[in-house]
Formats: sequence, C-alpha cells, structure tokens
Amino acid sequence: MSARGQRQGSGFGAPQIILTLSIAILVIVVAVPVLLILFNAFWADGVFNIRDVARVLTEPDTYQALLNSVIIACGTTAGSTIIGTFFAWLVTRTDLPWKRFMKGMFLVPFMLPSFIGALAWKMLLSPRAGYINRFFMDTLGLEEPIFNIYSYAGIVAVECMYLFPFVFIQVCGALERMDPTLEESARISGAGLFTITSRITIPLVMPSILSGALLIMLYSMAHFGTVAVLGIENGIFNIPTLIYERIHQSGGSFDSIRTGTVLASVLVVSAAFIIWLQNRILGKGRYQIIAGKSFRPMELKLRGLRMPLLVICIAYIAFTIVLPTTVIFLVGGLKTYGLAFTLENLSLDNYKFILFDHKLTRDAIFNSVTLGLSAALITMFAGVMISYVIVKMKTRGKGILEFLGMLPFSVPGSVIALGVILAWSGKFGINLYNTVWIILVAYIARYMAFSLKANSAALEQVHDSLMEAARACGASMWQTLRDIVLPLVRPGMLAAFFLIFLPSLRELTVSIMLYSPTTRTIGVAIYTLNEDGETVISAALAGVALILIITGQSLINRFTQSSSSSKG
Amino acid sequence: MFRKGLILLLTACFIFGFAAQTFAAEKLIIYTSMKESLIGELSASFKKKNPDISVDYQSAGAGKLMAKIAAEREAGMILADVIWTSEVPDFYNMKDEGMLIEYISPVTKETINPFTDFDGSFTAARLGTLGIAYNTKIIKKAPEQWSDLLNPEYKGAFGIANPSLSGTSYMSIALLVNKFGWEFIEKISANKGKIGKGSGQVVDDTASGELVASLAVDYITNDKIKKGASLALVYPPEILVVPSPVAIIKDTRSLNAAKKWVDFLLSVEAQTIIANEGTLPVRSDVPLPAQFKLPAPEDAIKRSIPVNYVELMAQKENIVKKFTAIMQKK
Repeated sequence: MSARGQRQGSGFGAPQIILTLSIAILVIVVAVPVLLILFNAFWADGVFNIRDVARVLTEPDTYQALLNSVIIACGTTAGSTIIGTFFAWLVTRTDLPWKRFMKGMFLVPFMLPSFIGALAWKMLLSPRAGYINRFFMDTLGLEEPIFNIYSYAGIVAVECMYLFPFVFIQVCGALERMDPTLEESARISGAGLFTITSRITIPLVMPSILSGALLIMLYSMAHFGTVAVLGIENGIFNIPTLIYERIHQSGGSFDSIRTGTVLASVLVVSAAFIIWLQNRILGKGRYQIIAGKSFRPMELKLRGLRMPLLVICIAYIAFTIVLPTTVIFLVGGLKTYGLAFTLENLSLDNYKFILFDHKLTRDAIFNSVTLGLSAALITMFAGVMISYVIVKMKTRGKGILEFLGMLPFSVPGSVIALGVILAWSGKFGINLYNTVWIILVAYIARYMAFSLKANSAALEQVHDSLMEAARACGASMWQTLRDIVLPLVRPGMLAAFFLIFLPSLRELTVSIMLYSPTTRTIGVAIYTLNEDGETVISAALAGVALILIITGQSLINRFTQSSSSSKG
Repeated sequence: MFRKGLILLLTACFIFGFAAQTFAAEKLIIYTSMKESLIGELSASFKKKNPDISVDYQSAGAGKLMAKIAAEREAGMILADVIWTSEVPDFYNMKDEGMLIEYISPVTKETINPFTDFDGSFTAARLGTLGIAYNTKIIKKAPEQWSDLLNPEYKGAFGIANPSLSGTSYMSIALLVNKFGWEFIEKISANKGKIGKGSGQVVDDTASGELVASLAVDYITNDKIKKGASLALVYPPEILVVPSPVAIIKDTRSLNAAKKWVDFLLSVEAQTIIANEGTLPVRSDVPLPAQFKLPAPEDAIKRSIPVNYVELMAQKENIVKKFTAIMQKK
C-alpha cells in the first residue's frame, strides 16, 4: 500500500489527484473569471484592441471614476496610516491608562461593515438633516452645515474610521515584537527621544506601516459601500460604483460589460502591483525586527499629556464607534424617518417586523446565513487541500498552484462579481445568473484567500517529520492525512471557517452585483431598503446585522483564546 | 466523525433549502413592484377566497424583475405567472415580443381604463399618482402649481428621484417635459434642484428635512404621513398619473389561477385594499380614505398629462441622458 503512494511523480497516484483537483478548483473559481475579464477588456471582436481600451479609459465618466478611486484611496491611506500608527504607538509604548481596553476598542471597527458606518454618518452629517449639523445649526443659529458628508472629505473620513485597524494591527505587532535593547543602547549612548524615534523606532516599524498602508490602499481602491452610500447622489463615482451603475442600468448590454471589464482590469493590475510592492517591502523588512522578547519594551512616560491623550482616545472611540452604532439602533426604532428621538416615537416594532413579518428581510437573513455557512464549509475544505499541496507536497507542477494560490489575494470583490457573471451566465453551458449559486461561487472565490492564509499558517507549524514517521510506519497517504495532519490543522480550519462566515454575513460588494429578487443578502437588503427610502427599516436590519456580527466575533474570540491556537 | 456527519447533514439541509425555493409545487407566482405591505395583504385576502390556490410573490424594483424574467426566458422557462409593475413601457415591450396572454376580465368594464389601445394583454389595476411632497415643518404655504417649485424657498432642496433607477421617476419627468418643455427642467436645475436615488428615498429625505420638497409617489408618501412624518402631499392642476398594469405570462402553468387573480385584483374588495394604501383605485365605486387627500380617479384621469407610451419607450435613453446633463449642469 505504502509503495504506491511513494512512487511520486512517476504515475498518477494520490498526490497527482490532489494536485489536479487543487489546480482545477483555483482555475475554475478564480482564474477563469479573471482571465475572462482581461480577455473581454482587451479583445474586441476577436482581435487584440488596445485603442478601444484607451477610448473607454479616456471617456470623461470613466476617467473621473479612475481619478476618484485614486484620490479616495490616497486620502484614506494617508489618513488611516497616521491614525493607525499614532494609536498603535500610544497603546504599546506609552503609559496610557487602560491600554488593553483601548486596544480592544480600536479593533472594533474591523468588525463593523463600513457601508453601515456610512449610513450612520449620513444620518449624522447630511448637510441639512444630519443630526449633528441640525444640532449646531439650531443651537448656534448657523446658516451653513458644519460638515457635508456627501463629499470627498466625507467619504475619506468614513473610510479612515473603518480601515485604520489594518495599520493599527500591523504596527502594534511590530512594536511589540521589536527588540527593545536596540532603543536602550541608543539611549545609553546618549540619544534623545526624538533621535531614538526617528533613527531607530520608525525605521524598524516602517515595513509594517507600509504594508498596512498598502492593504488599505488595495481595499479602498476597490471599495463599494461607502462611496455608494455617500458619493453616488452627488455624482462622485469610483471604479466599483461605476461598474455597478453601468451594469445595473443596462441590464447587461455588451457596451456596459465592456466598460466594466476595462475598469475591472485596471483594478486587477493595480491590485497586483500593490501586492507585489507589499511582498517586496515585507521581504526586506522581515530580518530587521528580531523577535527577541527579552525585555518589556520601555514605556514612555506621558506625564502631563497622559490625561489629555486619554481623553482624545475616549473621544475618538465615542465619536467613531459608539455614536454611529447608537444612531443606527435609534433610527431603527423610529416610526418613520425624520421624527425626533422621543419615547413615543421609538419602539421595537421595526425590529419585530424585519425578523418575523417582512418576507424580504427574513429571506435576506436566511440567504446570508446559509450562503455564509456553505461558502465557509466549502472554502475551508478546499483551502486545506490546496494549502497542503502548496506547503507540504513535493510534486511536479506545484509552481502553477503557488501562482494560482496568490490570485485570490489580489482580486477585488467587484472584479470577482463581474468575472462570475461572464463565466456563469450561460456562455459556457452553465447559467447560474439570477440564482443563489452564482453568489455562492463568487463567495468561494472571494474568501479563498482567507482560507489559504489560515490553513497554510497552520500547516507550516506541522513538522514534516510527523508525516514521515507515519509513512515510515506503513500508513498510507490518506491515513496520514486523516490521522496526523487533519487533527493538527483543525484550529487553522476553524479559524478559516469563521474568517469566512462572519464577513460573508455583511458582504455587499459582490452580492449587490449578483442578486436577484429571490436572492437578496443582508447587505443587499440594507442597501436597497435605504435606496427605496425605507430608512428606518434598513437601519433596523443594519442593527440586527451588527448584533449578529458582534456576537459571532465575541464567541470566536472566546473560543480561539481558550483553545490558544493560531489565529491565522 | 459525528461532527463531520453533522456538517454533512447541515450542508444537505442548505442545499435542499435552496432547491425547495426553486422547485416549488404548482402555484401562482406573482412578480410585482408593489410594496410588500400592499401585495402581502392582497395575497392573503386572495388566499382566503381561493383556499385551493397557493400564492407566492416576489416584490422588487421593476428593473430587477424584468432582468430576472429575461434571464428565465433565456433559460427556457419564466417562473412568474403574473407580472404587475408600474413600468408601462415594459408591458408594451412584452406584448410586442408575444410574451403575454390576452385576457379581458369580465370585471374590466366596471373599471376605469386609462389605456386607449386596450386589447387585454394588460389591464390597469392601480393608478399611481405623483404630486409634490413637502416638509410641513419647513414649507408653511402649500405649493399649488408646478411652477411654485421655482420659488426661492425650494432653492437647493427640491429632489427628483434618479430616472435611471426609478421607472416611475422616468415617466414623470417625461410627462413634465411633455407638458412644460425642457425649459421647466432647466429652471428647476437653475434653482439648484437635486437628483436623488430611489423614488422612496427622496420622500424620506423630504421627511428628514434634507430636502424641503420632492416629486413624490402617492402611496410611499401617504404611508409615511400615516406613521407621523411631517409631510404633506399636494397635486398641482396637472396630475402625473402612472397606471400599474397587471398581465399574465404566456407560459403560465396556472392560467386559471392567474385569471382569477386578475379578476380579484379588479374587484371592489382588492381595490379597497389598494385605496387604503394611499394610492388610487381603478374603480370609482371604492371609497377613498379621508386621511389621504387623493383626487377621485376619474378626476385624476381628466387632469392627467396625456402620454404616448410607445413614443416614451423609444426615447427613454435620450431623455434620461438629457435630464441628467441638465441637472448636473454638464
């Protein structure tokens, strides 16, 4: 039995089957949609046509959308990098009170879907009716609103609030792992705080800052929700919102799909460039931070600034997390939008209505939960298999898989959505358009990256000798997998499951392009209800979604802490 | 192993869950753009009268429904038996493509029929009206004419739903242009009028004070007034009337049930439910609720701006483009 498995490469045994299957999954789910987009963008009527691509890109609308994507992404990246780095430094390297609590709170925006945040900020800061603007205009008698959220500044501010944790997490990690003796030796040699910070600390954490910043850039370029909620009305489109608008209006005419594919290609190329840049920076930076934890890093005494900075932190948390969340729940309780928050206007009726009586919202919750569970299960198992081939197997053809495995990381959601429309709307024999299955396929493609990451991290921790020992004792490859590898990577698999299940509950970018009347997801329902002017109902559903997500996340946190396993 | 079994079982459940949605037993399936409160009550009342027919409905925007129908048609089978939306041009399209069954309900003669070229392919089951919704906290004197919207108190705060998102909004813009010419739209744009999103959102924005007034659909506004919003709906002398036709799809497997549904929809009982939602019935023998200041149906038809739907269909893209260009001052 064992002999058959050991003849690697010569026949078509188990390793080849796994390899082929892995490649097939990635090709069908991720590579084909992306290739179809590039193909449709660059080939018109069977000929390579770059001039037409240029024509699409120089149309005023498309050009403006490209420019907007860049403006918004740059603004967001700069803003969130500053906020993220500052708070990370504050909670790791100073004697700020309640640091642990603060750190936890700064991670909360990670869980909050940014389009729900955008809805909340619209309610707070729309120029004439926003609660904050109203408050100032009424009490101070101002003629003009203090801030108009329907603007570039508004969009960037809202995106910053929900994206800065990307930098925060990276920089916290780097600062915590950094060898404090480097700073101490500088201090002993007589360097002042400014010199230490600028010559030692910042250069050491720079790779982490940059890699976090690039993640934000990648995310923001391809981000749909915030711009859709705050920008479209005033004619501010970015790439994903323009793709959506064009496809939505035309009901799938070739010209709009064409524009969509060209725009999507721009996203693919810039994403690939960002990922490449990030890998380079990380590759360079890795050896600089020596993971010695010999001492606790020295803490800067804030002295007189301690209280003011604490107040700033608390105010920031109250303003960006507590306030918008509260507004969502309060508006969700109103009888109709525009009423004052008084006791007789507030009730739980909307919540009861969406959970028990409203078919649309009940269907949406059911769809999101089932889609999330199915996508998480499928992607978890596929991810284990593919990571196993990449990390553990020594077989020919692995290089292709490594390359394919990189793809899911760099393909933005709206690109996946457009790609699956091209691939699965009947042109190749199978028509899944307007069914729930097309959303499932898109979710699998979108979340494969999470699963690969979590599973390969777990697999890297399993030493080869364990498997070699099993094989030496005569176990077959399947036996080794079942009895040795799978039990050891179970934590990674679970992490992958939840890393997929929770975000899929609030997914908007992909589902908004793919939904049909029967297959709305929670995100789509919130978005369309808001568009239909059912503001209070949509806020109530957003509230329910927040509760679902936060409960889920706390359960996972408790679970992963108690099992003290890798978190991917 | 137990856990794996459980997971498999769960997966199977989901798959069958989806499947059950797709392969439902024989029943009447209605695609409609009517709000759920309306279609829900109507279908409950229909079920009570016809316990042997099970009714399922999908409520969504007309554009989404037509895209779904187009996809289903391509796949070889339209799931819907009945379609009921407010996008009249779609019905002319479907009629031209031979997708509809001609059915002249015996009840039709009791109703008000706004279609001069009526042949039974589709029958008006509701008369949507559009007027001006305004925020009563901000605007103290109700507007009386469309031209009142050009006054300074509406500056920068009169909204029209995006015609590329809302079919009703498209129709009403086309009607206004028909009657008052493009100058009217240009004047509104000069008064810094705004393009909103959906036809519901402009009303909610009016209720919140983000806009002071908007071009508003009757039942959406009346529903919010009923819930206590500080809104009022008024009709200038020229009313915009947009009928909502109901039609039976040719491939239907439940023709009998579909016919019964059309008959029911035109009956006094169903039309009373429709009137109570704050929109106009197609029958004059149905009492209009006093709380909504709706015009009588014949009166509304008389005051309505006449329209040629076939022409409207052909011009859609141009009108939407021109309107957007004027409003965004491109």
